[in-house]
Amino acid sequence: MSLDGKLALVTGSGRGIGRAIALKLASQGADVVVNYFRHRESAEQTARDILVLGVKAEVIRANVGDPAKVDEIFDTIGAKFGRLDILINNAASGVGRPIADIDVKAWEWTMDINARALLLCAQRAAKLMAGKGGKIVSMSSLGSRFALPNYTVVGVSKAALEALTRYLAIELAPLNICVNAVAASAVETEALKFYFKEGLVKDSQQATPAGRMVVPEDVASVVAFLCSEEAYMIRGQTIVVDGGTSVGLFALAGKGG
Amino acid sequence: MTVEEQVREIVARITRVDKGIITRQSTFKEIKADSLDIVQALVAVEETFGIEIPDEEAQKFQNFGDFVSYVENQVARKGKA
Repeated sequence: MSLDGKLALVTGSGRGIGRAIALKLASQGADVVVNYFRHRESAEQTARDILVLGVKAEVIRANVGDPAKVDEIFDTIGAKFGRLDILINNAASGVGRPIADIDVKAWEWTMDINARALLLCAQRAAKLMAGKGGKIVSMSSLGSRFALPNYTVVGVSKAALEALTRYLAIELAPLNICVNAVAASAVETEALKFYFKEGLVKDSQQATPAGRMVVPEDVASVVAFLCSEEAYMIRGQTIVVDGGTSVGLFALAGKGG
Repeated sequence: MTVEEQVREIVARITRVDKGIITRQSTFKEIKADSLDIVQALVAVEETFGIEIPDEEAQKFQNFGDFVSYVENQVARKGKA
């Protein structure tokens, strides 16, 4: 698979899954726009690592939960490159709280970043992809379909993202834009350690038939495939990358991620 | 209004506490700021002063005073630039 000459925007690519996706796409020849919000040093490191691969890297800071900032990202890409081939809607946030503690602020913050951002980014990306097509891949999670502890608001936001993926796949098909999502179980990243206690890591290892936790590179490989022409006929789907967790009995006991 | 007063107003608004109880020694825990409150306070302060506070720096703040000092330094540095 080659992405030579393609331009990809990966939101939230300073760390974790986004960084792995950015590096994977770059390793296949794509120039990458690295978007970050809170971790500048990490984003700059991702960009340096991309440059080493012999492609271009551009760093743009923006909170994708803020519509004006989303516009800034795409205004910059439009002015600098005049096109976009791949949008990876990866940036995510959220609060791990029981339902009783979810206030309007936490709900809106999470939904704006995790779900609405796909709508706003896809609207702008489609214009930059017009005429030659493109790929849009979003990051979901198993919390969209399974009730995980203290994961309600994030899980609901991911369910919205998956539904939006289906609608976008249909509406953008005439523009030759393929839209899909990838849902991972708990992935070993800094964010996971931040939002959850160490116990989740151990639980996830035990609940994964494949015998280990999903790592960012597992997810990045599937995302790269969805960005390739080989995946042309996959539309509006959410591909699960979980080492078998969700088809095993342990998932039904509320473990996994 | 000084930088400190502006930051205090922002933090008080977001955490919904009386700004009178926020001193330079107050920890985020003492003013009942959770992780979302802190991120939103950082974003609001960044937008108010036109500066950037990376999480790598924010994680070093032990109390409100550390937060204010960082903002004061950034604002001063921006003024010189």
